[in-house]
Amino acid sequence: MATTALPRPKSYDDTFFKPISLWLTTTDHKLIGIMYMATGLISMVIGGIFALIIRLQLSQPNLSVVDAETYNQLISAHGVTMIFFFVTIFLTGIANYMVPLMIGARDMAFPRVNLLGFWLVPVSILLYYGGFFTGGALDAGWTGYAPLTEKAYQSHSLGVDFWALSIIVWAISGIMASTNFLTTIVALRAPGMKLTRLPLFVWAQISTSILLLVVGAPLAAAMILVEFDRQLGTQFFTTTGRPVLYQHLFWFFGHPEVYIMILPGFGMISEIIPVFARKPIFGYMSMVAALFGIVFLSMTVWAHHMFTVGMNTYVEGFFMIMTMLIAVPTGIKFFNWIATAWWGSIEFTVPMKFVFGFLATFLIGGITGVYLASVPVDTQLHQSYFVVAHLHYVLFGGSVFTIFAGVYYWFPKITGRMMNRASGEWNFWTAFVGFNGTFLIMHTLGLEGMPRRIATYTNATWATTNLIITASSFLLAFSVLLFLINVVRSWNHGEIAGNDPWEANTLEWATSSPPPPYNFEGVPPVRSFMPLRDLREAEALAGGQAAPAGA
Amino acid sequence: MTARDRAPLYVLGLIAGAFLLSSCEAPGGVAPIFPTPVSPNGQDIYNLYELISIPAIIIFVGTEAAILWVVIRYRRSRQPAGYVPPQIHGHNGLEIGWTLAPLAIVIAIAAYSFSVLQQDFQPVSNPDMTVIVSGHQFGWNYDYGNGVVVHQEGTLAGDVTPFVVPTHTLVKLVFKGTDVIHSWWVPAISGKTDAVPGYDNYSWLKIDQPGTWHGECAELCGVGHSTMQIIVQAMDKPAYTEWMYAQLTAVSLASPSPS
Repeated sequence: MATTALPRPKSYDDTFFKPISLWLTTTDHKLIGIMYMATGLISMVIGGIFALIIRLQLSQPNLSVVDAETYNQLISAHGVTMIFFFVTIFLTGIANYMVPLMIGARDMAFPRVNLLGFWLVPVSILLYYGGFFTGGALDAGWTGYAPLTEKAYQSHSLGVDFWALSIIVWAISGIMASTNFLTTIVALRAPGMKLTRLPLFVWAQISTSILLLVVGAPLAAAMILVEFDRQLGTQFFTTTGRPVLYQHLFWFFGHPEVYIMILPGFGMISEIIPVFARKPIFGYMSMVAALFGIVFLSMTVWAHHMFTVGMNTYVEGFFMIMTMLIAVPTGIKFFNWIATAWWGSIEFTVPMKFVFGFLATFLIGGITGVYLASVPVDTQLHQSYFVVAHLHYVLFGGSVFTIFAGVYYWFPKITGRMMNRASGEWNFWTAFVGFNGTFLIMHTLGLEGMPRRIATYTNATWATTNLIITASSFLLAFSVLLFLINVVRSWNHGEIAGNDPWEANTLEWATSSPPPPYNFEGVPPVRSFMPLRDLREAEALAGGQAAPAGA
Repeated sequence: MTARDRAPLYVLGLIAGAFLLSSCEAPGGVAPIFPTPVSPNGQDIYNLYELISIPAIIIFVGTEAAILWVVIRYRRSRQPAGYVPPQIHGHNGLEIGWTLAPLAIVIAIAAYSFSVLQQDFQPVSNPDMTVIVSGHQFGWNYDYGNGVVVHQEGTLAGDVTPFVVPTHTLVKLVFKGTDVIHSWWVPAISGKTDAVPGYDNYSWLKIDQPGTWHGECAELCGVGHSTMQIIVQAMDKPAYTEWMYAQLTAVSLASPSPS
């Protein structure tokens, strides 16, 4: 393997505090993964503070906690931060850490590209926030629709330029990471790790990487054209150009991005349920097929974000049916998860609680998605608080709940220590109640006619609902705070975990916690998609004892 | 009971209390459905919404019940000691079943949605009157085609000049964008239509009762976005004729003298 020629990092122990030179120069996928995840969590805190200010502003009619211009910058920064700098980045980090371990590899295929790809992320983030110091950051929403982003309407600041540059850098970083994941999974699997034995999380990472590889470039292209318009005076998306073309390019990235943020989560759910239900995943092959069904369909639905711009009704009909068809592979995954847990012997650890919290909430996001796909109904719900509620159901109740589940599940492997369980229970219940309290009744605001992205409102009948939402959002913020405190405290003081605290199925649990820089002393034989369970059963038989399954 | 067992009880108690408090002062504050539609195209959307809700609610309740059943019945503490779950790897019949059933449901929803789309979302060819609606930062202009233009400049208080239409009249709306993209939305009438610079976009309304309905611009269009409020006022034919006459008089009085 080419990577063995690279200098190994100095040995490190299981605390977070390591020499800064090691963090800056390491090509170890595990340390890079931790840096990705830390960056993601910092972004989550920043984006969360933006969200709380937004909720304060909307808690009652006619408030001016911030003025309209600041408000527009805050909603844009909240969206960009959470989507580009938190969820996608955190998931890249968790995959960076886990994928090589799960396939029994020593490192990623291109360790130095991996390091470069990571360091482009802080560059991208700093570029975006740099906009705040040039007279104001992006204030056209995270989607940045033209022509509002054009020079004619945005001459007072460089916020749009900084946003466009930031997204270009981010897209390059994402393309690097995707290429690296695909090459790693294709080329560096351990002996016996056939494609049909890949853990479903790795399959999910393959699907995600394909998506980002395909749609990252069109996103960068859209941003380059925005910059051409602004700095070179071209007329791509100006009032005299074709503003709707921007929307097509943006959503060709933007909709698959939704799946880039949820497919790794689907993968985690598929890993966690079998471990705590003590049953193999139900329908492995249909789970893989459903992933690729989603990958294909997600690239054919982008214009469902544009049903009010006035397209030919047959074109709208096409995008409607393709969008609704996504419910089919998603439904397959959903029912397979429930079938996996059915007849199981389920231990409700904190990660498993988050998995079931995810199932209960993501279902709502999936069903409201069918309403939104129907063109006539969408013209009512589009750009209203119904959409805000829907997207948070799939992004928070979906992606972020899977992130919580993944962290509680893999924290022992990453740090060698368990996260505090009592604190984790509080984290789950406050998150579940705070989340649904915030976003469930938000649907009704949209039905009643409250558009999204308005800096304030006069309609007094929306006041009570908004107040409940704001109160719940602070409960949700408290929950995230519990989570962060738990992560930091457990990293240094948690119970020692051992190699395989959950009696899990996949290869990452075969090495020490945390794994050594070279990952494995020797990779165990892989004879199914659950090599560790095979190993436990073999040991139990060799020891002449009954297998302690379900113990 | 350990601290972690009590955590959910505390949180649920807190929430139950909060809901009890809020329900005292929120009559009609939480409406689960659209405002009553006053235009046929809005009524069709309303009916479609209710129709989609039938399978949606059945699937929602059924699936949540299955999740709840798994949570309650198959937890380890409810299983006999030493229970080893059956090692089932899948079931082709079941998997095909829950592929085809959702497929049939979404195709039915899509087909019905498409028929509404064909019926209500084409530019109408036989309008009783046509109004050109153009959006700008931050307000709407309604051009009646006879020299009368209603200028609905945005105010945050929402006391904007009403866009007046006669009752029992099929009004074709032609949307034009003059600067950035705006979106015209009066929930009681129908869905949104974007006003995009560069091409015309179409919608229509037909209101059979006098009254006033509120709406707002639904596409972020700059700092004044939340001030771009909309009021549509439907008047009986006689009242409308009187209103239009006053407008025409005002236009002729103010008609520019070439200088």
